[in-house]
Amino acid sequence: MPEISAGDTAWVLMSAALVMLMTPGLALFYGGLVRRKNVLSTIMHSFFILGLVSVTWVLWGYTLAFGPDTGFGIIGGFEWLALEGVTGEPSDVYASTVPHLAFMAFQMMFAIITPALITGAFAERKRFKAFVLFAIAWSTLVYAPIAHWVWSPDGWLFGLGVLDFAGGTVVHLSSGVAALVAALFIGRRAGLIEPATEPHDVPMTVLGAALLWFGWFGFNAGSALGANGLAATAFVTTNTAAAMAAITWVTISWLHRGTPSVIGAAIGAVAGLVAITPAAGFVTPAAAILIGFGVGAACYGASLLRLRSHVDDALDVFAVHGVGGAFGALATGVFATTAVNAAGANGLLNGNPGQLITQAFGVVVVASYSALATGGILYLVNLVTPIRVTGDVEETGLDLAQHGEIAYQP
Amino acid sequence: MVIAALVTFAALLAAWILAPDRSGQPQLTDDAAAPQAAARIALAALDR
Repeated sequence: MPEISAGDTAWVLMSAALVMLMTPGLALFYGGLVRRKNVLSTIMHSFFILGLVSVTWVLWGYTLAFGPDTGFGIIGGFEWLALEGVTGEPSDVYASTVPHLAFMAFQMMFAIITPALITGAFAERKRFKAFVLFAIAWSTLVYAPIAHWVWSPDGWLFGLGVLDFAGGTVVHLSSGVAALVAALFIGRRAGLIEPATEPHDVPMTVLGAALLWFGWFGFNAGSALGANGLAATAFVTTNTAAAMAAITWVTISWLHRGTPSVIGAAIGAVAGLVAITPAAGFVTPAAAILIGFGVGAACYGASLLRLRSHVDDALDVFAVHGVGGAFGALATGVFATTAVNAAGANGLLNGNPGQLITQAFGVVVVASYSALATGGILYLVNLVTPIRVTGDVEETGLDLAQHGEIAYQP
Repeated sequence: MVIAALVTFAALLAAWILAPDRSGQPQLTDDAAAPQAAARIALAALDR
């Protein structure tokens, strides 16, 4: 029986709490970016998912994602339904120095924030009832299988050698692509002032980004699953990439638009955090600087392209999480080194070009599955209840029309 | 116990599917309606 480490357990539980805080942080980040008549509905998406997926993860999500494989590395079985058999003793498979329940709780926070990320794409026009059904179906049919493929030792992508330290493909690429599909499915918002609606509360968005940055230390350094040198490495690479992407985004927007954008600093930091997520425990701090710089430029370009397109991914989820997640996964294949993490692999710059090909394959598989499955889920939910609110509701604002409340007194 | 937990969640899911949906104009009928309606007008004006 493996022995529990008090230090590792404290760090994993603390990291779970840090990642939990990211979802309310995301609510503020998104809430500030929408019009004031939709701020409560936007915040509600993240907050309701915090409750909803907490319950579904306990009931069936965890066993599907991390339970004993049913064969072929596709999905876990029902052995751990409602956490039966998941106890305060360490698992035989995962994080052998912490209680199995601590590992489960840490993973639960990832499962919560992933569908919450998608909500930025359909903000200001999605019917709440449809959102609830979509969130349940997506976390069950998209998140759980992909998590199993990449993070279960029996998962088929894990077996192929795809590296994803903390969720570049599992969390960010999957949700970013789903956001793009959702934006295409639901259509553009009515009453938009071109090229985009002004954010109603920039300080709220910056506060949200700061909370995300803070929580991301749990997300990435916590993924070391122990209080050790690998956690310290992931902590430093995470902060370095976020900082570099923030100042890169600001610099590009300064040169391009003539002003150093505050919103750009917030979004740039998030892009850096996204890109370092799959690489955090496999690369050096110097590589994190290059990753931060590259993703700052890449995501800025992607957001410009989105503005010129007819796709109304309202809060740029694809440009930041889809592009940033893919960029980070590929960058892992370039910069990874076993000098940082012996359990990983060397990348292109360390004499192993095959790792980059493996990473690219993982990106294509995860993106394709997420796109197809998300489209199918949206189609089916739309049969049960219309995905989009009526024009009257959209004109009035979702806060009052859907929730019967307003954020601010006039 | 596991079955009871699943059934409880299923009941909530059924409630979400069957719950009324504010799909038209705001349906405020209590005393809060007047200030809420005023707020709506003010918000709509601000957003324009």
